[in-house]
Amino acid sequence: MRARILSILAYTGAGFTLLIAACVPFVLMGVFSNVVAHAGLHIDASYSGGTIARTIQRGGYRIVVYQPVRPRMLERTGPFVQIVFEPADALPARVSDEIDLDGDGRLDVRVSFSVPADANAKMHGDVTALNGSYVSLSNVSDESFSRMVVRAGNKIVVRVPVNKAVAGQ
Amino acid sequence: MASQSSIPGASALRASTLRRSVAFRGVGRSILLTLPIALWALLMFTPAFQKAGRDEHIGALAVIVFMTGLFFLMMRTGETYRWRRIFFVALGFLFPFGFIASLIAERGTMSIPVSRMVSGDTPFCFMVTPSIILPAAFARTIIFPGSILPTASNPHSIAVMIGLWFALTLVLGTAWCSYACFFGGIEEGFAAFSKRRRLHRFVAKYSHILRLIPWAILVFVVLLSAAIFEPVYCMWLCPFKAVTEFPAVRNVETAIQMGIFVALFLGLVVVLPYLTKKRTQCGFFCPFGAFQSLFNKINLFEIRFDRTKCVDCTLCQTSCPTVALSKDSIHEGKTLLNCMKCGACVDVCKKDAAVWHLKGTLVAVKPERARLLFLYGAWAMATMFGGSILANSVATMIHWLPGK
Repeated sequence: MRARILSILAYTGAGFTLLIAACVPFVLMGVFSNVVAHAGLHIDASYSGGTIARTIQRGGYRIVVYQPVRPRMLERTGPFVQIVFEPADALPARVSDEIDLDGDGRLDVRVSFSVPADANAKMHGDVTALNGSYVSLSNVSDESFSRMVVRAGNKIVVRVPVNKAVAGQ
Repeated sequence: MASQSSIPGASALRASTLRRSVAFRGVGRSILLTLPIALWALLMFTPAFQKAGRDEHIGALAVIVFMTGLFFLMMRTGETYRWRRIFFVALGFLFPFGFIASLIAERGTMSIPVSRMVSGDTPFCFMVTPSIILPAAFARTIIFPGSILPTASNPHSIAVMIGLWFALTLVLGTAWCSYACFFGGIEEGFAAFSKRRRLHRFVAKYSHILRLIPWAILVFVVLLSAAIFEPVYCMWLCPFKAVTEFPAVRNVETAIQMGIFVALFLGLVVVLPYLTKKRTQCGFFCPFGAFQSLFNKINLFEIRFDRTKCVDCTLCQTSCPTVALSKDSIHEGKTLLNCMKCGACVDVCKKDAAVWHLKGTLVAVKPERARLLFLYGAWAMATMFGGSILANSVATMIHWLPGK
């Protein structure tokens, strides 16, 4: 009797598996994707740049300043602040902007770069720290996740390292 | 019991396979059993026919015929492994082709520049899944440079790919590794090219240690990824980076990473499978395979051994591509947890002692019914997932034909 019940359950389960298989492309993929999408997850800040702190309008383009990203204990990426210049096609051929990163009314860094006409060309730029909170970069391109000047689509992404002593405070 | 050394390797396996080549079912009955898969394939590729391109139409049509034809042969001959392997090797070799072609067309290189990583344009790969679980659970952070939701520049987002993987896993369990993983097909292909089975004494002697390595790598990768918030396997250990995409070489660290990817690919995916006729990366290295084998517990289908028929010839053990059988497990009438349900042991068994089994039913009672139930689900998923990859790759190949 037990064997018969188990057998019926097994075949019911097998039928259910086939039903699941039939539902995968039409229902289940979407359901599971939605679950992941609405699970409150976010991409690690060392990749995404973190959350936006404020936006500065500069004529035809804007500068988006992000919150400083402080790495977790064993994370290899150093602390940095992401600055995005967008849209890239509205930027002048040569950009040199002094920016207040922490919103304290004092200018923190001067970011300078040339915008290549070819969107796929490798970019280089300079960051001059105007106080001790940030680290200057010379002729930087895509050295690491905490120091870069790169073009990503229609944006120029600049990452300025934060002085570790200051970041630790 | 026959010793390992007395088994004349491939020739014994081939002789056993030939025995099964006699028609297992009549043509009419085989066609009837194939009909559901043919209809499923048509349903899956109808959207491809609505696209404008002639190349896509040819690709879709070729895959419908290919997948339906192979299923028919499975029904007709009663063999699983031989026909599944044809699909799987085609998937393994055509996936990189289509993928690399799309990368070259889109960005002119196989490497991922940092700019694409920071803008979340890295396609998510299911192999990263174990690495991201702990940071996602405890810090709600995904340690992968992709995007959670699909975007125009990255349709293979994290939510889409995890949703797809989980849905397929519910149906396939560890059979994912034999019916869906486009990487496993590459090494199965190199294993198939080889005529002779070499190093089999070494593999047999140390298999109990070798099959623990993926678990050790899984634990290492999961813990280290959670500690340093980086997808460690993806960044340092994935052999398949060599034939898909890899971080752009821009300094010593990325050059070392690239060297490791190439060395692992050549060693574990090309040379060792060729020498041993085993899927060495899957059986002895892949942490995702170890992780995936946990889902065997919730899957209803398995391979069992009828001890009343088994003569302990160990042909099944020799033929298993992932070393998922030991003498002890065969004595217990079971496979090990990492069995990928490829069907090699069932096809090779001369005494019909290795059988497909539905958990909860009696062993060796209606094994063909269990096989059919398993294959309908598995082949439907293979057609949907692998088939669409194949169709895309075939369309790309046609597009690249000289003179086009």
